[in-house]
Amino acid sequence: MAPILEARDLVKRYPIGDGEAEALRGVSLQVERGEFVAIMGSSGSGKSTMLHLLGGLDLPTSGEVVIDGIAISGLDEEHRTLTRRDKTGFVFQFFNLIPLLSVAENVALPFMIAGDAASSHRDRVTELLVLVGLGDKAEHRPDQLSAGEQQRVALARALATSPAILLADEPTGNLDYTTGTEILDLLWDSADRLDQTIVLVTHDARAAAYADRVLVVRDGQIRDEIVLGRRRDHEARPLIVRLAELGL
Amino acid sequence: MRLATIAWRGLLARPLRTALAIIGVALGVAVVAATLITTAASDAALRSATVDLLGKADVRLRAFDETGFTPRTVQSLRAVSGVITAAPVSERRLVVHTDPGPDEQVFSLVVFGVDPEIDARVREPRLTTGVSLSVDSPTDALVASSWAARHGLELGDQLRLDGRREGVPPLRIIGLMADTGFAALEQGDVLVVSRSTLDESFLVPAPIRYLDLDLGDGDVSVALDRVTDALDEPFVVETAADAAERLASAQASFASIGFLFGLIAMVVGAFLVGSTLAMTVGERTRELGLLRAAGTTSRQVLGLVLRQALALGVAGSALGIVLGLLLATGMIGFLASTRAALVAGLPIPPFGLALAFVLGLGVTMAGSVVPAIRAARLSPLAALRPSRQSGLGLSARLRTLIVAELVVVVLGILFLPMERAGTALLPLILSLALLLGGAVATAYVLEPLGKIIGRPFERIFGAQGLLGRANLSRDRVRTGLTVGAMMIALAAVVALGTVAESARAGAERWVASILPGGNAIRSSVPLDVESFRPTFESTPGLQVASPVLELPAVRRVDDGQQEVVLAGIDPNVFQDEGALIIAGAARADAYAALRGGGSVLVPASFAARVGVGVGDPVILGQPGAEATEFVVSGIVEYTIPARTPDGALLISAADARDLFGVTTASLWVMVPQPDVAPTVFASAVRDTATQLAAQPLTARELAADLGRSLDRLVGLFDVLALIAVVIGALGIVNTLGIGISERVREIAILRAHGMTVGQVQAMVVAEAAIMGAIAGVLAILTGLAVAYALVNGGASADLGGGFRVPWGLLVAVILVGTGIAALAGLYPARVAAAMPIVRHLKQFE
Repeated sequence: MAPILEARDLVKRYPIGDGEAEALRGVSLQVERGEFVAIMGSSGSGKSTMLHLLGGLDLPTSGEVVIDGIAISGLDEEHRTLTRRDKTGFVFQFFNLIPLLSVAENVALPFMIAGDAASSHRDRVTELLVLVGLGDKAEHRPDQLSAGEQQRVALARALATSPAILLADEPTGNLDYTTGTEILDLLWDSADRLDQTIVLVTHDARAAAYADRVLVVRDGQIRDEIVLGRRRDHEARPLIVRLAELGL
Repeated sequence: MRLATIAWRGLLARPLRTALAIIGVALGVAVVAATLITTAASDAALRSATVDLLGKADVRLRAFDETGFTPRTVQSLRAVSGVITAAPVSERRLVVHTDPGPDEQVFSLVVFGVDPEIDARVREPRLTTGVSLSVDSPTDALVASSWAARHGLELGDQLRLDGRREGVPPLRIIGLMADTGFAALEQGDVLVVSRSTLDESFLVPAPIRYLDLDLGDGDVSVALDRVTDALDEPFVVETAADAAERLASAQASFASIGFLFGLIAMVVGAFLVGSTLAMTVGERTRELGLLRAAGTTSRQVLGLVLRQALALGVAGSALGIVLGLLLATGMIGFLASTRAALVAGLPIPPFGLALAFVLGLGVTMAGSVVPAIRAARLSPLAALRPSRQSGLGLSARLRTLIVAELVVVVLGILFLPMERAGTALLPLILSLALLLGGAVATAYVLEPLGKIIGRPFERIFGAQGLLGRANLSRDRVRTGLTVGAMMIALAAVVALGTVAESARAGAERWVASILPGGNAIRSSVPLDVESFRPTFESTPGLQVASPVLELPAVRRVDDGQQEVVLAGIDPNVFQDEGALIIAGAARADAYAALRGGGSVLVPASFAARVGVGVGDPVILGQPGAEATEFVVSGIVEYTIPARTPDGALLISAADARDLFGVTTASLWVMVPQPDVAPTVFASAVRDTATQLAAQPLTARELAADLGRSLDRLVGLFDVLALIAVVIGALGIVNTLGIGISERVREIAILRAHGMTVGQVQAMVVAEAAIMGAIAGVLAILTGLAVAYALVNGGASADLGGGFRVPWGLLVAVILVGTGIAALAGLYPARVAAAMPIVRHLKQFE
C-alpha cells in the first residue's frame, strides 16, 4: 500500500542578509496510514520546518511532498490550501482557538471554512467534543476553558474533517505534566482507535514515546530512526536510552 | 539616544499608520479651513458688492410705492443744495429671450435701467470684459458674467425683451459684469440697460425704484433733511449697511450650513485622531513596556507619546491648511459658477487659518492625552504581558476620551465665528450633541446591532462573514469609535439630505398653498383689473381669473410706522381651491371674516415677530393717509412673497379696492376648469402671458426652481460630507490594519486550517462592510434626529417648512457606507491574505 505521506529529498533554505541558511538538507521519509510518527530534535534542528513542509504550510526550496497521493509542492497556492483543508489537521503549541467563537464553532471551523451547512456537521462536532471530554462545554467561549481544555478543543478541530494526517507541533509544550499527558493519551487513542495518521513534532522524549516510530533530526537531516511499535504503556525509558546512545 | 529620536523613529517605523493619521488630521483641518475661507470669501463678496452697488452714493432712496419716483422728482432733487449727484435706477422684471430659432433661450430677468452718463458719476460697473453703457448707443446691455457663462452667452450676443414695441431693435451684450454691484442682486439674473431704452421699449415707462444720492462731503443728515423736504412721494432711506444686510439674508442658509459643517468636520476629525492615537499607543504597548523596563520614567513615556502626537498634529494641520486652500478654491469656484452664494476671490483669512491649524493640533493633542496617560501609567510587567486587552470597562475607557475631545470641540465652538450662526445656536448645539451622543452610543450598540446587521453578510460570506462580524466585538472601544466617526460623517449626509428634502417639501407646500389652481401670471407692470380681465378670462379652459391687488402700506404702531405689503385676494377663490394653510382659527371662520371686510390674515413669522394673534387689532394704512383698524382673523403658514421679509399680509380684494383704492394687479391667479388637463391649461396660461408680455407661473415649476437652487447649495455640502466619509474610511483602514496586526497568528491558524487567500480577504472586507453598514444604520437614526432639530429649530428660515424623509437617500447612505467601508477594507484584506503562514504561526501574541 502506498504511504499516506511521503517526503522526497526536501531542501529548505532561508535568505539571511546576503547569504542563506539551510534549515533542511535533503530529508526523505514515508509515513504509513494509521501510523503515529514523532519527529524529535533540539531547538533549531529543523523539525518544525519539516512539519510545515509536510503540511503544505510552506514550500520546499527543492524536493517534493506527497499527501495521500497528491504532490502538493507543485500545486498553486489555492489548490495547496484546499488540499491542506481536505487532507490535514493541525495542532499547535499555543492552542490558537478563535476567542470570539464558541467551543463548538471552533471545532466546526474547518467545515465552516469549507462552506458546509451547519446541519451537515452538527453530529460530527458533538461526537468530537464527547471524544475529547468536552461534550458539556460546547457553548463555552475559549477564555472560559483551562489550557488543557483549550488544547483538547484544538485537537477536536484538527480531527474534525477526519484528515489523512494530523500534524501536531509541540502540542504539550504549553501544558503542565498531567494535562500534557491527557492530550498525548487522546492523540494515541485517535491513532489506535480511529486509525488516524499522526506526525508529532516534539523535543520531549516523554511525548515522543507515545509514537510508533521516532525520527531524530539534527542539522536539517534525519539522523536516526527509532522504532518503538504500538504500545499501551508509552514507557519513555527505551527511547531515552536510545537517544542517550545517540548523544542527544 | 534622545527620546525625541525614539518618538520620531516610532512614527517612521509605521509609515502607513503615520500617513493615515496625518491624512485624517489634514482632511479634518482642510474642511474647517475651506469652510472658513469660503465664509471669508462670502463676506468679502458681500462687502465688495455693497460698495460697488452704492458706489460713491451716501444713501439710496427706495420708492415706497410701486409707481416709483417721477422724473420730475428726480429733477427737483438735483436742484437741492448738497446733492452732488442723484442717479435714478428703474427696475422691471421682464421676460428676455435670445434670437428666435431652435436654440432660443427664455429668461426671467430683473432689468435695471440707468442713465449711463449720470450713473458713471456714482458707480463704475466692474466688468470682467467689454465696455460700460454709453449715451450714444442705447441698445447696449450689461449682464453678469457668471449668468452669461451658465447660459453660453458672450459679448455681441443679442437679447430681446418680450412684449417690446414694434420696431424696437434687440439689445446687444457689450459688457460682462463681475458678481458685484447690480450683478450681486437676484443671484446674477439681471440685465442693466439704459433707462431711456427700457422706457422706449414699452408703452409704459419703467418705474424709478431707487435714487442713489451722492451728498458730497458735507453733513449727510442735514442734506438728507433737505432731500426729505423736497420729496412728495413716500420713500425709504437705505444705507450701505441695509443693502449689505439684504444681500446677506439671501445667503443665510449657506452661512448656517457652513457653520454646522465646520463643527461636523471637527467632530469627525476629533474622533478619528483620538481613536488613531489610542490604537497606536495600544499597538506600541510592548515597545513602551520595554522602555519602562529599561528605566524610562513615566514622565518620559508621557513626553514620548505627546511628542509623537505633536509631530502628527503639526504635519497633519500644515497639510490640512494646504488641502483647505485647494478645497476652498474648488468650493469658491463652484459657488461662483452656480451662484449658490455670493463669493469673490480666494481670501486668506489669517485668523481663520490659524484657528483651523490650532484646532487640528488641539484635537490631535487632546486625542493623545488619554493614550499618553495610559502609556505613562503602564507598569513594565503589564506592558510585557501577552494580552493587551484593557481591564477597564467600556464606559471607563470611553469616558476620558470623550471628555477630552468634548473640551476641544467646545473650545472650537467658542472660537468659530458665532455671528454667522445667527439665532440658530440652540439647534446647532443640539445637532452636535446628537452627533457626539450617537458616536458614543455606537460602542454600546455595536455588538447587538452587529449580530442583526451581520446576518446577511454571514449568509453571503459564510464563515468569513461570521468571523468578520465576530471580530467587531474584539475591541469595542476601538471599533466603536471608528464606526462612530464614520457614522457622524454619514449622519451629516443624511441630515443634509433630509433638510433639503424637507425644504423641498416646504417649497411645494408653500407654492401650492399660495397658488390656488397651481397657475398664475405675473406682469411686469400692474394691469387695470377691469380693462384686462377679459384678456385673462379669454384663456381656454379657465374657470376663474382672480387678481391679487398688491399695495405697499405701513403698520401703525405707538412709536411710528413699519413697512408692510398688503395683498387683496378673493376669499371665495382661495377658499374653494383649498389654498392657504391657516392656523389659530377655523378655516371657514377666517375666510368668512375676510369676506366680511376689516379682517387680515397675517404670516406666521410676522405674527411671531410683532406678537399678534387671532382677534388682535392691526392698524394698516398708506403713508400720509388715514389708517384702518383690521382684526387678525387667521395666521397663515405661507403667504405671497413681497419685498418685506415676512411676505404680504392678506386682506380681501374688496377692502384693497374700497379702502385703499387699488384697481390694478400684477399677479393674477388662474384657476382651471376641473376637467382640463394640467399641461393643456399651463400651455394656455403661457399663451395669455406671452400676449401680455408677462411671466407665466406654475406651482410645479416654481417648486422645481426652488428645489434646484437648494440642490446646488446642498450638493456642495454633500461633497464636504463625503470628505468626512473618506476620513471615516481612513479610520476603518487604520482599525482593520491594527486588528490584523494583532491577530496575525489567528489568521495564520485559519490559513493552516484551509482558509484560502480569497476567503481571508473576504473575511476582512466583510468586517469592514459590516462596520460601514452599522455606521449607515446609526447614521440614519442620528441624521434624521439632527435634521429634525435643524428643521424644527429654525436653523435657517430657508430650511423650514415641514419634515420629509428622503427614503431613497437613506437606502443610498447604507449602501454607500457599506461600499466605501468595503473599499477601505481592501488594502488591509490584501495585507492579511499575503501574510506568510509559517512566520506568523511562530509569533507569540
